[in-house]
Amino acid sequence: MNVIRDVWQSIVRRDPLSTDKGKSELVFLNLWLHIHPAKVKKENLKLKHTWYLGFITFFLFLILVTTGVALMCYYRPQSPQAYQDMKDLQFVVFLGRFLRNMHRWSAHGMVICVFLHMCRVFYTGSYKKPRQFNWVIGVFLFLLTLGLSFTGYLLPWDQLAYWAITVGTNIGSYAPVIGKQLRELLLGGHSVGESALLRFYVLHVAVLPSVMVLLTMVHFWRVRKDGGLSCPVWKLNQQKNGELVTIGASAETPSLSVATAAKDKTYGLMEVVTGKPIFETVTAEEEEDTVFSYPYAFFREAVALMATVTTVMALSLVWSAPLEELANPAKTPNPAKAPWYFLGLQELVSHSALLGGVVVPALAVLALMAIPYLDTNPSRRPADRKWAIRIFTIFVLINVILIIVGTFFRGPGWAMVPPWVHVTGAE
Amino acid sequence: MKRRSFISWGTAGLVALWSAIGVSLAAVVRFLTPSVFYEPPQAFKIGNPADFPFGPPTFLADEKIYVFRDREKGFAVASAVCTHLGCTVAYFTSDQRFHCPCHGSVFIADGSVQHGPAPRPLEWFEVTLARDGQLNVDKDKVVPPAYRLMV
Amino acid sequence: MERRTPQIFFALSLIALGLILAAVWQANTPYWKIYQRDFHKLEARSEPNALAKAAVLAAPPVIQQVLLTGLQRVDRCTTCHLGVEDPTMKNAPQPFRFHPGLGPHIPSKFGCTICHGGQGLATEKIDAHGNVPFWQTPLLPKDYIRASCGRCHKEGDVPGVPELMEGRRLFETQGCRGCHKLNGVGGSIGPDLTTEGASHRAPDWLERHFLAPNVVSAGSAMPNFHFTKEQARALTYYMLSLTSEEMGSYYASVRLIPSASYGRQLFVEKNCIACHNIGGVGSKSGLDLLGVTKRHSAGWLDEQLVNPALVYPGSSMPVYDLETNARKALVTYLASATAEDAQLMLAKAPKQLTPEDAAIEAGRQNFARFGCVGCHGLQLQGGVPNPNAQGGEVPSLLHASDDYTKDEVIAIIRNGKVPPTENSAKPAPPLYMPSWKAVLTEEDINRIADYLWSIQQKKESW
Repeated sequence: MNVIRDVWQSIVRRDPLSTDKGKSELVFLNLWLHIHPAKVKKENLKLKHTWYLGFITFFLFLILVTTGVALMCYYRPQSPQAYQDMKDLQFVVFLGRFLRNMHRWSAHGMVICVFLHMCRVFYTGSYKKPRQFNWVIGVFLFLLTLGLSFTGYLLPWDQLAYWAITVGTNIGSYAPVIGKQLRELLLGGHSVGESALLRFYVLHVAVLPSVMVLLTMVHFWRVRKDGGLSCPVWKLNQQKNGELVTIGASAETPSLSVATAAKDKTYGLMEVVTGKPIFETVTAEEEEDTVFSYPYAFFREAVALMATVTTVMALSLVWSAPLEELANPAKTPNPAKAPWYFLGLQELVSHSALLGGVVVPALAVLALMAIPYLDTNPSRRPADRKWAIRIFTIFVLINVILIIVGTFFRGPGWAMVPPWVHVTGAE
Repeated sequence: MKRRSFISWGTAGLVALWSAIGVSLAAVVRFLTPSVFYEPPQAFKIGNPADFPFGPPTFLADEKIYVFRDREKGFAVASAVCTHLGCTVAYFTSDQRFHCPCHGSVFIADGSVQHGPAPRPLEWFEVTLARDGQLNVDKDKVVPPAYRLMV
Repeated sequence: MERRTPQIFFALSLIALGLILAAVWQANTPYWKIYQRDFHKLEARSEPNALAKAAVLAAPPVIQQVLLTGLQRVDRCTTCHLGVEDPTMKNAPQPFRFHPGLGPHIPSKFGCTICHGGQGLATEKIDAHGNVPFWQTPLLPKDYIRASCGRCHKEGDVPGVPELMEGRRLFETQGCRGCHKLNGVGGSIGPDLTTEGASHRAPDWLERHFLAPNVVSAGSAMPNFHFTKEQARALTYYMLSLTSEEMGSYYASVRLIPSASYGRQLFVEKNCIACHNIGGVGSKSGLDLLGVTKRHSAGWLDEQLVNPALVYPGSSMPVYDLETNARKALVTYLASATAEDAQLMLAKAPKQLTPEDAAIEAGRQNFARFGCVGCHGLQLQGGVPNPNAQGGEVPSLLHASDDYTKDEVIAIIRNGKVPPTENSAKPAPPLYMPSWKAVLTEEDINRIADYLWSIQQKKESW
């Protein structure tokens, strides 16, 4: 009927999706989807290029926010009610155990995936000019992920939580000049207690997620404006020099190649200004390799989303997150270990708190951020970047080995005990 | 604006705005700094001297201190908090050492580090005799390891 | 590829739907619902008609929770243990069986874990019974559950748990306070026992420890008191009852059990027979109490105990500051008080002592109460091993006057004494005489010395 069609069309104002115009309008008329370009290069969507790690990380974040808000209905950031609420989630709340597991496994997954995403971006050289600053924002997002994980770790208020955060904040206090005051601000006191629990809760549910969302928005925006998804490494040899041109491109970029306007494409004229070129250009050949975002990109993203969700759900059904005994400031468990993603750090710290806990990690983070600026090699081909790839791989391996040592090879008293040796009665 | 002044209103406005932002930031930092602590107090009484045995130290869990009582020299109070990363150390009578379970630091009986990643010796706190005869410990006052209170 | 991607998406969405349904199904079928269903079936069997049966069977499954703010806990045991207050379930299989002998301790007021231990927050069997990692108060074994009565009922007797009174008596008379503090009074050679019940030590460990301290706790200086198995159990019960439960005002007000035997104990303690008589036996200056509960209501008698001058202005009956249940106990006793019982009381009353004898008696009581007998022995014979002390053991006090003057002994009690070491290369002796000046008054110390000297004299006169 006309009424239904009119109502529908007042909400959904685009042309039908069967038309090219409709497919384009789905993207650029829609608030939630218009970060996408209307058309993408088919090759850039290939699984083996990015493994969709960025998307997976983002979807994990969405799962975390959703399950997090749900959990907030049953959690009080006070001692000792916090621990009782964890027990309630486990035993009494409908789907409580499931939701808590989803939250925890998504958190671990997000830490892993953000790290893998960083590795992928490095190995495909996608941080190079003009995407350098986006890499830096990515490093900040990585640190935020670790920060969210750290602040969330305290909230169950069990022995694991209490002592992991005691150790973690003490590491921070070794920072020169501001270390001790920063620790007091974070804890709201001299030691981990009620004030610390409340402040970590505020950081975990309000402050850090907001900053994360804001930086993520900038990160996505920059991907778009820096030229969209990067070109896969195996296509680099065939690439001509007709690169995309972005806002603020320098004078050294090659001049625009000229193509005739296609009949079924509309071009918008924003403004005529003098100076550098302000809109993207695509060569005629590349035009042939592009496909509409809908359905190509969208269904791939949807598969990535569903794969992430089903994996997290399956894990949450069979594998429960741990909960130790109520936090006891008088009793330190032996050994007292940080969460696995900080065990590499704890391993370093066990050798030297200042050097291992503050200096080396700080230098590592600064070095990470500096990569796009230190690496002046404009080529993204692996053959041209052998040393960069080797150095980065060594960095990754060191991290992984430190974490493995911290997890499996350290026993009571932080003594080196191989996992195949059984240690009895550690108390 | 007909007359060119030394500083334009716009510049002055910006200076005022940045000053306001600076003051706000400092105020925020002060806001976040706690004025009272929901924690056990730093200075407290631990009881009568007669309540403490000689020999191995008495561990007070809530205050995180070890109270030593020597027959010849008197009382000394050591911190039970490892100087590395804050775990609670345990005193073992078998070897008369403090052992930290977190990263294996070992302190000998006077608090100095035998081995392990701890950067500093265990702290010793001032212990005095209060007017009512009880022992008074002040964790804000750190004393050298040789300090003793003779009762 | 473009037909396949939507197909994969569809397949994954179906899997997601399946997983959500699995999660919902898992959340919807906890084991306690099965228990509740079985219980309703049991109940339905005893229902008279089909309508009632159907109503019971259709009852929705619900978690039963008891919120006990006064006891600072939440108990959900009755989610499965549904027949606890139902006498018709006397022979039902567990977990539905009726709990006999609850008396006033109904779950809605007391929960279950305050007596039984366990994890009240849990709704799965194994977690609720508490034998899981990271839960430190599992269910108390059956043999020891009655010890929990002592967690609240710390004074007076506890009907049905003679072990508690016996344990308390042993503690006070065998000299435990000489080394162990309890509620602030005692020595500091051994650990403070004020909250021993909350130390999460297993009950059978405690019992074995009493029977052989050195074997169970390596290197301990605690002597072997050669307790019998029953005595060890009584002491274990007493230890298990020493928790520092924080209780709301309601629970604090009902701690004293107003039993007739406690009332009699109070009657003797307050020496009512000094003014009153029962059926003519006793003092004639006060009223005859025989059958007083038939003449006056319990409320009237209670008011009498609170404020004697209210009813009899000018009465010389002192005001005894007794709490509600203590007064109730007295009244309960008076209901059954007889002249024969009064006769027994008079017979047992301590004879008039001379001031010297009274001081010696007080000293003897102090000597036991503050635990001196723990090291120096019930007959002051000494003999408790003290490795590396000169003599190798705690000295006997029977010949103290040979080596010390009375004033020297008083100084030793006041200031303590460290035994001389045999071999300075070895560790110092674990046992020593503590200083008692912070615990005992000068008068108490003098009386102990009087008592000791009275023993010396007896020996000399042999």
